[in-house]
Amino acid sequence: MSRIELTDLRKEFGSVVAVKDLNLTIEDGEFIVLVGPSGCGKTTTLRMIAGFEDPTAGEIKLDGTVVNDLEPRDRDLGMVFQSHALFPHKNVADNIVFGLRMKNVGKEEQLQKLHEVSDLVRISHLLTKMPAQCSGGESQRIALARTLVTEPSNFLLDEPLSSLDAKLRRELRAECDRLHAELQKTFVYVTHDQEEAMTLADRIVVMDQGVIVQMGSPIDIYSDPVSYFVADFFGNPAMNLIPGEFVKNGSGIEFKSDQFNVPLNEKFSSVPIGSGTFGIRPENVQVVSSNSDSNRKIGLVEPLGKDTLLYFETDSDRPFVAVVDGTENHTAGSPVELNFPQENIFLFDSNGDRIRA
Amino acid sequence: MAMTMSQKRNTFSAFRYFILTIWLLIVAFPMFWMVGTSFKPDKEWFAWPPVYITENATVRNYLIVWANINEYTKADGAHIDEKTGELSQYTQSLQRPWVALRNSTIIAGIATTLAVLFGGVLAYGVSRHNIISEGKMFQLLMLRMVPPIVLIAPISLWYRQIGLLDTITGLVLLYFLTSLPYAVWMAKSFIDEVPREMEQAAEILGASRWRTIWEIVLPLVRSGLVATFLFILILTWSEYLLALLLSKSEVLTLPVELSKYQGSTEGRVYGRQAALSVGITIPLIFVGLIIRKHLARGFSFGMVRR
Repeated sequence: MSRIELTDLRKEFGSVVAVKDLNLTIEDGEFIVLVGPSGCGKTTTLRMIAGFEDPTAGEIKLDGTVVNDLEPRDRDLGMVFQSHALFPHKNVADNIVFGLRMKNVGKEEQLQKLHEVSDLVRISHLLTKMPAQCSGGESQRIALARTLVTEPSNFLLDEPLSSLDAKLRRELRAECDRLHAELQKTFVYVTHDQEEAMTLADRIVVMDQGVIVQMGSPIDIYSDPVSYFVADFFGNPAMNLIPGEFVKNGSGIEFKSDQFNVPLNEKFSSVPIGSGTFGIRPENVQVVSSNSDSNRKIGLVEPLGKDTLLYFETDSDRPFVAVVDGTENHTAGSPVELNFPQENIFLFDSNGDRIRA
Repeated sequence: MAMTMSQKRNTFSAFRYFILTIWLLIVAFPMFWMVGTSFKPDKEWFAWPPVYITENATVRNYLIVWANINEYTKADGAHIDEKTGELSQYTQSLQRPWVALRNSTIIAGIATTLAVLFGGVLAYGVSRHNIISEGKMFQLLMLRMVPPIVLIAPISLWYRQIGLLDTITGLVLLYFLTSLPYAVWMAKSFIDEVPREMEQAAEILGASRWRTIWEIVLPLVRSGLVATFLFILILTWSEYLLALLLSKSEVLTLPVELSKYQGSTEGRVYGRQAALSVGITIPLIFVGLIIRKHLARGFSFGMVRR
């Protein structure tokens, strides 16, 4: 049983507030991902849980006990660092048993656990090598093993995969998932990569400028973002977000921008008049071939196999994207009509907050 | 016709080796001259045209300096005074190279060890806990920029009062304090290279602060500290001014001893000085050889990808 509770947690570096009065309870066995752009306070939060940063105010509880004043080594935590932080002067086996040695575990038990854990993360063939002889992916597996072997109740992972290439990242992401399923321990994982957050998390905590913007399951965050920021952050390709204005149009309300005029149905009748943002996910855009009098033309066709991405030029620096089935046949320059199903439309006010119907 | 990339590179490489070779000659020549002169008989020291490699090599200079044997024979080709049969009139009794060697070893050894020890601890504090601010660190180094001659008068007065004048302790203390800023600066640059995350990884795995320093930090900065040690050892080993002015007769160091090899009639006795200089240099080379494994790593630390 292990539960992490953060109450009104605050961290200031001089005049900069890195984390603003954060409240979060992480349940036993949960895989929680703190995600956000760099500087949002996610790593600072993790380092406060670990004990490497003293909170300016607030409480950190592990299993109901306040641990603010406990040394990192007394907190029953394991941590994996972005830089792996392997000890370069010790071979892989010595790196892995380091934690056991510090806890005065007997030689025989050390060996037994070393072999268990290196089988678990599949690095048995590396034990006699030095860290410098191992690849990035291998290093991260070793770092994982070094943490796993001490059997902490909570795992803290600080952007563990961000220094690896895309293929390795996917591979180790699956590995993290597998380990979490096998160990049933609490994982707190920090990343700036929305895809990692989506695939790994039981619960995603989205942070921006030191505060939690939204919390929820990956699918909640994706299908029901609370703000422009969250809507923009999750999804690949990203949601189409078009700045414009909400204006009255007869009895209803219409969204108007230079290139898009979208009448909104009655469920949006309470939308405040004024500037705002219209959003729709690329996969929800309906592309209909049209006769030549449409002035909307496909800018670029990007076939990905299963899907095809269609790009349309806009006034802003980001193109408008639509995802269509890979079997559909489109060519650049051909005229089309774009339809936006009302149930897939997201509207945001001028502050970036979601306007709900 | 334009040169290809590899031709350009070869030209550049050849040019670089050319420059390096010239530089090496300039640096190595005094060493060559020192060793050469130490084996030359008296009349060749000032000979013109200069004798580059003597054909009358002799170990007489070494015997006179290090073994106190002073006999001249015609066979050695020595320049001998017709009347007395003696070469020089310098006072033999004042020359005690073995005592000077012992003193220098003790003084430089202890002062350097202390400087690296305290410097290392201070540097760790500065690097990890900012116990001294950046500005203060520069002030610390600026202290070393004060010309020693400025400090001599107050220090010798003060030393006389507290009885440190002409003592080994006095010189050790002074060398330790004056080389401490170098030690802190050098050691700090090596400790800065050890990522903080590596220490934190050890800490969260259960290592105490001391255990972390002992098992993680120290092995990683050892080469750097060894380089620091040699650097400071060379400085203190060859320090002349303070040693000359703060000692009278009791505590004599090698550089001071070296200055005593002057004849009253013929000026500097180059062959003897060269023989002593070789003796002064050999211990440093010896230390360098013992720790050479660390030196390459220590001096290139920070430039290599870890």
